[in-house]
Amino acid sequence: MQMRHASDWFARSATVAVLTLFAVIAVYPIVFMVLSSFKTIVEYINDPVGWPATFRYIENYQAMIYRFNVPRLFGNTIWYVLLATVLSLAVSVPASFAFAKLRFRFSQGLRTLMIATLIVPAMTLLVPTYVLFANLGLVDSYISVVLIWAATSVPGSVFLLSSLMRAIPTEVLEAARIDGAGYFQMMRRVVLPLSGPGILTVTIFNVTVWWNDLLIPLVFLQSDETKTITVAAATIMGRFSSDTPMLITGLLFASLPPILVYIFLQRYIRRGLVVGALK
Amino acid sequence: MSGRAWERETTSASPGASPPALSDPLAVAAAPAGTSVVPARPGAARPGMSLQRRETLTALASLAPAFLLIAIVIWYPVAKTFYYGFTNWNGASAKWVGLKNYTKILSGPEFLSALRTNLVFVVAIPGILIICVVVSVLLFEQAPGWRFFRSVYYLPTILSAAVVGLLMRIMFSAQGAMNDILQSLGLGMLTRDWLGAPNTAFVVLVFVFYWQTLGQGVLIFLAGLSSIPTDLLEAARIDGAGWWNRLTRIILPLLVPAIAYFVIFNMIWAFVGVFAMVYTVTNGGPGYSTTPIDLLIYRKAFEAGQLGFASALSIILFAIVLVISAVQIRIFDRLTTD
Repeated sequence: MQMRHASDWFARSATVAVLTLFAVIAVYPIVFMVLSSFKTIVEYINDPVGWPATFRYIENYQAMIYRFNVPRLFGNTIWYVLLATVLSLAVSVPASFAFAKLRFRFSQGLRTLMIATLIVPAMTLLVPTYVLFANLGLVDSYISVVLIWAATSVPGSVFLLSSLMRAIPTEVLEAARIDGAGYFQMMRRVVLPLSGPGILTVTIFNVTVWWNDLLIPLVFLQSDETKTITVAAATIMGRFSSDTPMLITGLLFASLPPILVYIFLQRYIRRGLVVGALK
Repeated sequence: MSGRAWERETTSASPGASPPALSDPLAVAAAPAGTSVVPARPGAARPGMSLQRRETLTALASLAPAFLLIAIVIWYPVAKTFYYGFTNWNGASAKWVGLKNYTKILSGPEFLSALRTNLVFVVAIPGILIICVVVSVLLFEQAPGWRFFRSVYYLPTILSAAVVGLLMRIMFSAQGAMNDILQSLGLGMLTRDWLGAPNTAFVVLVFVFYWQTLGQGVLIFLAGLSSIPTDLLEAARIDGAGWWNRLTRIILPLLVPAIAYFVIFNMIWAFVGVFAMVYTVTNGGPGYSTTPIDLLIYRKAFEAGQLGFASALSIILFAIVLVISAVQIRIFDRLTTD
């Protein structure tokens, strides 16, 4: 509507050009993954950038399933992430409720203590935790990974959830009380339903962080069959680094779930950034 | 019923008065803790006390699992790390050596070299800051389809740093896609073995950092920009203020909190978040030239078995993060009280 002046038109075109350039840079490596996954080794070496000869070459995909047992790696990751989610929420939701809606001595102090825990770098707790878990026989067991993932997610989840739960109307809780609802009934009937979006936000945030995590599973899971997909892409498939298109296909597989989650649940991921920014 | 805590809650902490999420931890620390005082009126004392006590017990029971988990998996190991930093721990036995680990760290070449690697990322922050602000302002000012661009820019941010790192390692290898692209753009003189020399390896690492951070920055700054009243900008436009004037006089001053937030978040990231990226892109090489502190800790602990040394090193890393966080609290205090 404001294309009255030629300079205006020029400025606008330049803007779109710049923004498009950044968009191409942002997307190209992902496109590169997809294109390379359809190439043979020879094809890739001759021309790493171009289009594959055919999109019907699916040996790399077959290798993922039969040689690297990607379904198993996906299963591992989903299982660990699921357990960590359950554990994390099981302790974070009641704690957030207490901070948001209960009055008690040291409430402020305890909440500050909880949030201060956010700044502890994972590296600082890794060495003693490793020795501790090794003594308990938990190294190379997913229990170690689940415990560390869940524990390190608690401060951020409590921070966000307790802020959101303050908005739960006190009258609703009061009414449930009068109806004779006990603690667990109140949680199930009032707190959980009313905190749905907040719980979804922290869950999606945590799941993405765990799915993408390298350090914790790399340290605690050593045998190939216990690994997560992200760590497997960095370790098992790295052993076949001469077959670059196959390695790239592995990276693509590891990236697909986060990309799909992002496409469908963008809104929650953006909100989760508030928590992420604190880590 | 009037003694119920739910009700007092509404008067003392109405949702509308709750501080914005960002400054929340600071506000909590500063808020008065007057609510914990039990009313001392003699007549109401007994029932009031028991209600208060019941609520306290409920609260403590709700908090116990969370604090137990954190205590076992975070606080206890951190306390142990602190202790083992003063020993020559190798996993089985630990002998007290006092400050020897710390003097060794601070006088040796490894730590300084690792610190330099982290500082490269700190120094790189202004570059991505400018890119993010410019892109956000362009999106905000006039671009059609800004939602589309925002989504596309955020795509790299949600990928695993490890996956992105491996992908970039492949793309920037001597026979990789990057050199091919440069060749076909007529920039053949720029082709090289990117990861073969420290300087260009750093260029690749900073590129990966930028590539994964653009989406985050745009998200933060667009959120900041959306809080600027549009009639303010409109008024300035009518008054004849040009683009540059609107940017420097109105937009940038109002973006200061978002900029501070972005910079501090990425400063902390530069010390504790680079492990996955460096491990996969350069693996700290060539030699040790691109090894940051957290990768050095990892190598000392899990490859060299020098757990005492690694513990001391991770306490130093923790101290660095503490200092940055303290500065952050100061800055946000100032920004929110203004």
